[in-house]
Amino acid sequence: MFLINRREMLALAAWSVAASRAWADAPMHAQERELYEAAKREGEITWYSGQYNADSAEAAGRAFNARYPGVRCNVVRSTSQVAFQRLSQDQRAGVAQCDVFSSTNGGHYIQLKRQNRLTQFRPVNADGLLPILRIADPDNYFQSSFLGVFLIGHNTTMVSEADAPRSWADILDPKWRNKLAVGHPGFSGAIGVWALQMRTMLGPDFLRRLEANKPQVGRSSIDPVTMMNAGERPIGVAVSANSTLLAASRGNPLRLIYPSEGVVAAISPSAILANAPHPNAAKLFMEFQTGPGLSAAVREIFNESIRPDVPPPVGSRPLSETTMLAPSLEEAERGVPEVREQWRDIFGI
Amino acid sequence: MSASTDTATLAGSQRPSRLRLLEPITILWVALIAALLVLVALPLLKMFVISFEEQDTGVFTIQNYLTAYGRQRYLDAVRNSLLLGTLSAAISVVLAVPMAWAVSRTDMPGKGFTWAIVLAAFIMPPYLGAIGWVLLAGPNSGWINVVWRSLTGATDPLVNVYTFTGMAFVIALHSFPLVFIFVKSALDLISSEMEDAANILGGGTWVTMRKVTLPLVWPSILGGFILIFLETIALFGTPAIIGIPARINVVTTQLWQFFEDPVRVEVASAFAMPLLLVTIGLIAVQKLLLARKGFVSQTGKGGERRQVKLGPWRWVLFGWCVLVALLSVVKPLMVLLQASFAKAWGRGFSFDNLTLRNYQFLLFEHDMAPQAVWNTVWFSATSATIAVVLALLVAYIVVRRLIRFADALGFLAMAPFVIPGIVMAIGFYAAYAGPPLSLYGSALLIILAFASRFLPIAYASSQAAIRAVHPEMEEAARILGSGRLHAIRKVTAPLLKTSLLGGWLVVFIVASRELSAAIFLVGPRTRTMSVLLYDLTEQGNFEVVSAFGGILLVITMAIVGIGMKLVGRDFMLRRE
Repeated sequence: MFLINRREMLALAAWSVAASRAWADAPMHAQERELYEAAKREGEITWYSGQYNADSAEAAGRAFNARYPGVRCNVVRSTSQVAFQRLSQDQRAGVAQCDVFSSTNGGHYIQLKRQNRLTQFRPVNADGLLPILRIADPDNYFQSSFLGVFLIGHNTTMVSEADAPRSWADILDPKWRNKLAVGHPGFSGAIGVWALQMRTMLGPDFLRRLEANKPQVGRSSIDPVTMMNAGERPIGVAVSANSTLLAASRGNPLRLIYPSEGVVAAISPSAILANAPHPNAAKLFMEFQTGPGLSAAVREIFNESIRPDVPPPVGSRPLSETTMLAPSLEEAERGVPEVREQWRDIFGI
Repeated sequence: MSASTDTATLAGSQRPSRLRLLEPITILWVALIAALLVLVALPLLKMFVISFEEQDTGVFTIQNYLTAYGRQRYLDAVRNSLLLGTLSAAISVVLAVPMAWAVSRTDMPGKGFTWAIVLAAFIMPPYLGAIGWVLLAGPNSGWINVVWRSLTGATDPLVNVYTFTGMAFVIALHSFPLVFIFVKSALDLISSEMEDAANILGGGTWVTMRKVTLPLVWPSILGGFILIFLETIALFGTPAIIGIPARINVVTTQLWQFFEDPVRVEVASAFAMPLLLVTIGLIAVQKLLLARKGFVSQTGKGGERRQVKLGPWRWVLFGWCVLVALLSVVKPLMVLLQASFAKAWGRGFSFDNLTLRNYQFLLFEHDMAPQAVWNTVWFSATSATIAVVLALLVAYIVVRRLIRFADALGFLAMAPFVIPGIVMAIGFYAAYAGPPLSLYGSALLIILAFASRFLPIAYASSQAAIRAVHPEMEEAARILGSGRLHAIRKVTAPLLKTSLLGGWLVVFIVASRELSAAIFLVGPRTRTMSVLLYDLTEQGNFEVVSAFGGILLVITMAIVGIGMKLVGRDFMLRRE
C-alpha cells in the first residue's frame, strides 16, 4: 500500500516542484523581511543538523538559499549525537561556529537551555505549525522543527507481509534471530529516544532481549534501510518512515510496518546558540524552518510536513491515525545517556 | 633552543670555518627548531600534561587514567587493537613477501602488472576498500556469498566481512604495499653470489630462498610489520564501518566515545598514552633491526644480480599476484564503480539501473561536497609544501651536520612516523583547538596536523636526496662568495628538484585520504572529502558514497599521473 508506481511518482514530483516554487516565492511577513535585510549583512548561517537525512537536509538548504538570495546556508549534516559532539567540541575549544542546532534527541535542548547556551526567540511562523508542535518550550528557547516517525520496515522479497512482525514486542521473538538490523544510540539521537521508549514500555531487560536476537548494529537510523535494500537483513528496526519510503521510491522492495503499540515520534526542536556568529541569519533560518518553505522542500523526499497548510508526504499514514509514543524532553535528557551506556555494555560497542 | 644557538656561536668563535653560522641564517635554524616544536613536541607534551589534569580546574590527578582503564569495555578495546594490528600485519607479510621476492629476484611474468597493483592498493583509501568489501562479503548480500550460494546451494556464507579476521584481512589488503616496498628494496641489494653459494652446497631454489634470501631481508619484513601494526591501531574508518556492525570496539572508536558530550580530552589523552609506550617499545625493536639491515646492504652490495629461473612455478607466483590484485583492487573497485552508477545498488547491474544522478547530486546539488573536494586539494597541497620545505631544511642540517644536536632535529622530524595518527590529532586538539589560539574549525589546524603527521615521509625522501648530493658542489658556490642559503637555492635545490617533487606528491596523496586525524579536527567549513565520505556512509546511500569515492580516486589518480610524468613511474614506491 505504500509502494507507489512510476506515473504517480512523476505526477507527484511535478506537483511538488511547482508547490515548493510557490512557497519559495511566497511573500515575506514583516519580521521575516526585517531579519532578511539584517541577515544579508551577515551573509551566511551554519546549521548543525541531525534531524533530516542527507538528501532532505541538502534540499532544505537549497530551498533556503533560493528563498533568501544573499544569505547562504552551510548544511552540516550528521547523526544527532555526532552533531552534539561537534557542538561540545566547539564549546570545549571556546570557538563559536554553529548558528542553529537541530537534533532528534530533545534532551539536548533541556541541557543547553540549563547551561544558558541558547538564544530566546519565537518565530512568527511557529504559530502556523501543527497544534502539537506549536509550543516546544514555554520560554521560547527552542522551537519544533522536525517530526520524525520511527517504526519497523521489512524487505518484502525476504519476509512476506503475513510473516512480518506486527508490534515492537514481536521483534523480541527468537524467530527473528540474525534477521534484524538497528541503528546505534551512541550515534543517532532518534535511536536513543527509541531505545528509551522501548525500555519504558517493554521492560528494563529490553536491550538484553534485543541483543539475544543478534541484530546487525549500524550507526544511524538509516543504516538498517541500507541493510534491507541490500538483502543483508530482512527487518529494519526503528527506521524512519521517510528514509524507508525514499529507498522504496528508488525501486527497493521495502514496506513499512506500523507497530500495534504505536510509532516512536521524534518531535524535535531547533535552537539558536547564544554565541551564534550570525544571529540574524539564525533567526531568519528559524522562521524558514517553522514556515511553509522547509515543510514544502522536505515533504518531496517523504518527510512529514510540520504544518497543516503543507500536505503530508505520499505513502505515509496520516499522523491523526497513528498512535505516537515519545518520552518527554526531560526524560530524554536523563534517560538517553543512561540507555546509551547500558547499550554499550550489553552490545560491547 | 637558545642553548643550541649558544653552543653553535661558541663553536663558531673557536673554529673559523664555522663562523658562517653567525650569518642571519642562524635565525632560520632557530625558526626551524621552533617549527618542529610547534608541530611535533608541543602537542604531545600538552597531551601528556592534561592527561594528569582535572577538567576545568587543571588540578593534578590520576583519575583520568583510572577512568580510561577502569572498565572492561575500554580494556577490551586496547586488547582488540593490539590483536588487530598484529593480525593485519601478519596477513600483509603473507600477501606481500612472495610478491616482493617474485618481482625482485625471479623471472616471473607480469612484473609491470604487479607494480601497478601494489601502487593501486596503496593509493586506494582504506575506508573505500572497507566499503567495497562490505558490498562484496556481507554474509547474506555480499556478491561473493551470493555467487557461492548459487553455485553450491550452501546456506552458510563463504566469507563474512563482519568478523575480526574479516576486518584484519580488509585492512591488510590496503597495507601490504608497505611490506612489499620494504622487502623488495632490501631484496634488490642482495647479490646472487650468496644464493650461488647455497646452490653449490646443494640447496635448491626453495631451500635457498627460505634459508638464505629471506633471512637476509628479515629486518625489512619486521620493519614493514611494525609499520603496519602502527598504522592499523591508528585506523578509524575501517573499524567504524566494519567494526561497529561486527561489534568489535577498538582504541580509535573508543577514543571517539571520549569525545562525546561532555568532551573528555583529558580521559582521551590518558587512554592514548599507553599507545605511545607501545610505539616506544617498537622503536627499540626497530632500532635493533635497522642495525642488522645495514649489515645486509654492506656485504651484499656490488655483486652480480641474476634472476632465479622458476620454470612452471613462475605461473604459480604470478597467479598469487593476480589473486592479490583481484582481492585488493579489482573486485572492490568494480563493486564501488557499479554502485556509483546505480540507482539502487542492491539490484545489481542492469541497464535500467544505470544513472549519473549520484555524481550529479554530489557535484551540483550537495552543499558541502564541492567545498570538501576543494578543501582536500588545498589542505593537502599546503601541508605537503610545509612538510617538504621543513623536511628539506632539517635534512640539510642533519646530513651536513651544521649544528650540534642536529640528530635531535632529525629525531623530532621522524617522530610522527611512529605516533599513531589519532594520538597526534588528540594532541593537536588539546594544544591548539582551544584558547589561547582557538584554532578549532580553522583550516590552519588541519594543515598543521597533516604537515606534522606526514613530515617523516618528506624527511626520509629529502634526507636520502641530500645524501646523494656531494657538498663539493655547494662549496664551489660558497668559495665564489655565495651565502649558504643562496647556495642551497641555486645549487642544491635544483639538484634535488625531482626527489622533492616525489616527496611532495606522496605527502599530497596520503594527506588527501587521511581520516583518523581529520575526524577530530574538522569544523563545519573545513570538512575534507574523507570526513564527508565517512559521514555519508551512515546515510543509507552507498550509491552516493561510492560516487564520492570515485571522485576522490579520480583526483588521486590525476596527481599520480602527474607524478609519473614528472618524476618517473615508480615515484611512490621508491624507497631511498
